[in-house]
Amino acid sequence: MRLTRRDRLLLFAPLASLLGGWLIVPALVGLAATLTTYSPLTTTVAFAGWQNYSNVLRDPQFGVAARNVAIFTLVAVPLEVGLGFGIAYLLRRPFRGRSSWRVLLLLPWLVSPIAAGVMWHYLLGGATGIVNFVLDWVGRPEAASPIGDVRLALAATIAIEVWRMAPFVTFLLLPGLVAIPEERWEQATLAGASWFRRVVNVALPEVAALMLTVGMLVTGLSLGSFDTILILTGGGPGTATLTPALYSYDRAFVTNDWPTGAASAWLIATGVAIIGVAYIRISRRWWSR
Amino acid sequence: MVVPVRAVRIIAIAAVTVAFLVPLGWTGLAAVGVLPDDSTWPPSWTGPPTLDHIAQIGVAEPTFWQELATSTLAAMVASCLTVAVAFPAAFGLARSRLSGGRSATQGFVVLASLPVMAYVIPLAELSRRVHLIDTFAGITLAEAAVTTPLAVFVLHGAVAQLPTEWEEAAVIDGAGLLRVLGRVVLPLVAPSVAATMVVMFVLDWNMLLVPLVLTSGEVKTVPVALSDFFTFERELDWPTAAAALIVSLAPLAVLVGVFHRALESFALLAPGGRDIG
Repeated sequence: MRLTRRDRLLLFAPLASLLGGWLIVPALVGLAATLTTYSPLTTTVAFAGWQNYSNVLRDPQFGVAARNVAIFTLVAVPLEVGLGFGIAYLLRRPFRGRSSWRVLLLLPWLVSPIAAGVMWHYLLGGATGIVNFVLDWVGRPEAASPIGDVRLALAATIAIEVWRMAPFVTFLLLPGLVAIPEERWEQATLAGASWFRRVVNVALPEVAALMLTVGMLVTGLSLGSFDTILILTGGGPGTATLTPALYSYDRAFVTNDWPTGAASAWLIATGVAIIGVAYIRISRRWWSR
Repeated sequence: MVVPVRAVRIIAIAAVTVAFLVPLGWTGLAAVGVLPDDSTWPPSWTGPPTLDHIAQIGVAEPTFWQELATSTLAAMVASCLTVAVAFPAAFGLARSRLSGGRSATQGFVVLASLPVMAYVIPLAELSRRVHLIDTFAGITLAEAAVTTPLAVFVLHGAVAQLPTEWEEAAVIDGAGLLRVLGRVVLPLVAPSVAATMVVMFVLDWNMLLVPLVLTSGEVKTVPVALSDFFTFERELDWPTAAAALIVSLAPLAVLVGVFHRALESFALLAPGGRDIG
């Protein structure tokens, strides 16, 4: 139907007020505040320019956090999307109870990030854990939990994130794979295409745009990694699993250095915005083909 | 030798499912008091199953059941609010042929990817100043705002796929905008709307950061309880923690199980992509 100006106002006003009031205005007010000396504890406010940002960028702790989250994202996102796609590919053919199976496999994602942290704390270590149970079984000595090991802690948090998010990726990709017409598979099979060729020539082109969108979502989530790490390691041992989100939280709410916390949080937003612009440009190019 | 593809596929599906669900099964066993015993070889399990540990949650955290109720109510209100706000906007986006419409829709994906941490610090400060901090309304509105961009994108995909003939017919019959939305479009995309509401409920239920920084004890949800309980007070014993985890997972598992058919309609169809044409 043709929408009048009044119709548009009715349709978009609720969205504009909710997102405006609870997301966009806070973000912009935050940006303005980080250019001053504002803090909830101070009464006088002076203009500070980029001082807060240069403080954050010069802080070696933030540097470590940025490096950690870069490793986290570069390892976790391809694993999540790759594994998620693989499982979705296995499920693409209809079978009895597939929709139930799809939600059964979604169970790890239903575990909240914080609950996943609590759960894996026990599963990875101690006498209660699954790791030591298996080690005992094969007659090896018990191992200390990897989350206490500087070299393994980041890898452990990545593994937990992949365990939780790959099922969600499968859940999101499966409708795209199911929507591929059966003829496309049959043509490829008749043309003698191998299993690998069918994935590359039939499946991937059809779900590429969808995968890009899913990739954007999981990349943003990875860059904001917070809940699981907070409970599992608190950023430690040392700074082995510190992320910019943990750094921001710590500065704003634990050490009461509000300007630094708000400024480093804005740096996370900047990172996501840069990737977001790239995402919009790539997807536009794909569709104009 | 011919490899039976079907058999390989079934074995692979079963192996993947087991691999992903073993950690949860382990937790489920601990919740009913079945724990590994590493002192013997081969390692064995202790104890007959018991429901004591579920009762124990209420002893370790006296307000746990109340927190469960708060979580449920907050997630219910927030997910309904999200869909109520996102659905009209999704329709508006799908039906107004703006030149930048496609990028605008894509922009909602970027907003949905934006970590809450990016804006929650000033949000907490603003909420404090308008006295919404530590109120039920404050956290449900903030939670709803976090999940709305994703809902707009998903519902836009669903509405954009619909043929417009029914709407046109209703308009010729004299129906106004609200009538078209409520009586024509909504019934046609009902499964997508239901699926979106379920997914938003899950996201709201599991949200930690928003309730963590927008409350200071008056309104407490399960993730916040889990976080301060575990980090700052003392280390829970594992069976009680496992019981709390399973109890807080169960409502979501039931919800998703009941709506598994509708969830088939939860699709991030790329707007303007080949599937829509």
